[in-house]
Amino acid sequence: MSSRRSRISEEEITELISKLQSLLPETRRRGASRASAAKVLKETCNYIKSLHREVDDLSDRLSELMATMDVDSAQAEIVRSLFRS
Amino acid sequence: MQATKSFEQAFLRHLLRGFRLSAVSYKSMSLQERKSAIKLSADVAMASARGSRKWTRGLITKLSREDEHRSFLRLILGTEYGRRTKPRHGSWKIPRSKKIVRRSLRVCSRRKNNLRAPHGVKSGVLARTLVEKRTHALKRLVPGGESLDGCSLLDEALDYVISLRAQVDLMQKLLTTFEAPKLRALSKCTLPERKASFVGK
Repeated sequence: MSSRRSRISEEEITELISKLQSLLPETRRRGASRASAAKVLKETCNYIKSLHREVDDLSDRLSELMATMDVDSAQAEIVRSLFRS
Repeated sequence: MQATKSFEQAFLRHLLRGFRLSAVSYKSMSLQERKSAIKLSADVAMASARGSRKWTRGLITKLSREDEHRSFLRLILGTEYGRRTKPRHGSWKIPRSKKIVRRSLRVCSRRKNNLRAPHGVKSGVLARTLVEKRTHALKRLVPGGESLDGCSLLDEALDYVISLRAQVDLMQKLLTTFEAPKLRALSKCTLPERKASFVGK
């Protein structure tokens, strides 16, 4: 009974690993074949860290831009244009 | 796999509301204060837009641990603040010896990894240890990940990465949108026809 449960979760884990792999930028570029779980985990960690850095950088740039703009008056127009796209 | 359109719209709505509430346009803020406020708004917007997931709850809890974030969180989450920052009912905080926890985690993942690396004893041990190490690293990166294992952790990581990518894309779009009027103004000044008409006058 317990071995059956483990087999099912092993398939689930394999599927999740392959889904994670398909998200990683390196994989998308080279169209790589199945990488090992350890490699996917490492690349996922690196990817998350780089996304965190991007958010930090974008927050920096937005703060510089918003220092000199009147957000309230531009807001309605901005929202409208963003929701249109 | 990517975030839905409704997520994108909810994110932008929450983000702009967050900007308004933290008054990022006020010149009285220092650049650093404004940046923290923007980043906080972006993280709360991402969690709010996604709804209820382990990582969104973990993220809000993590953010609420910083004193300077609490007043903003109270403002933007409103009546939900108390509910979303307390640990859930049934989440156990039984104090355990770290040594025992570590040992049992090792046994559990060894059992799981036994199915994945049946060939070659030596390489199997190495692979198991590596996967273990990387899994622990992932747990620390995914909010709320510490209490997750195996499938749940991977599932949350997947969802978290998709949401993070959407957050980056949308913030980039916002930046571009804010920059556009400035670029338009700049390009108008350099049009040759304009110059000619001025010279005529």
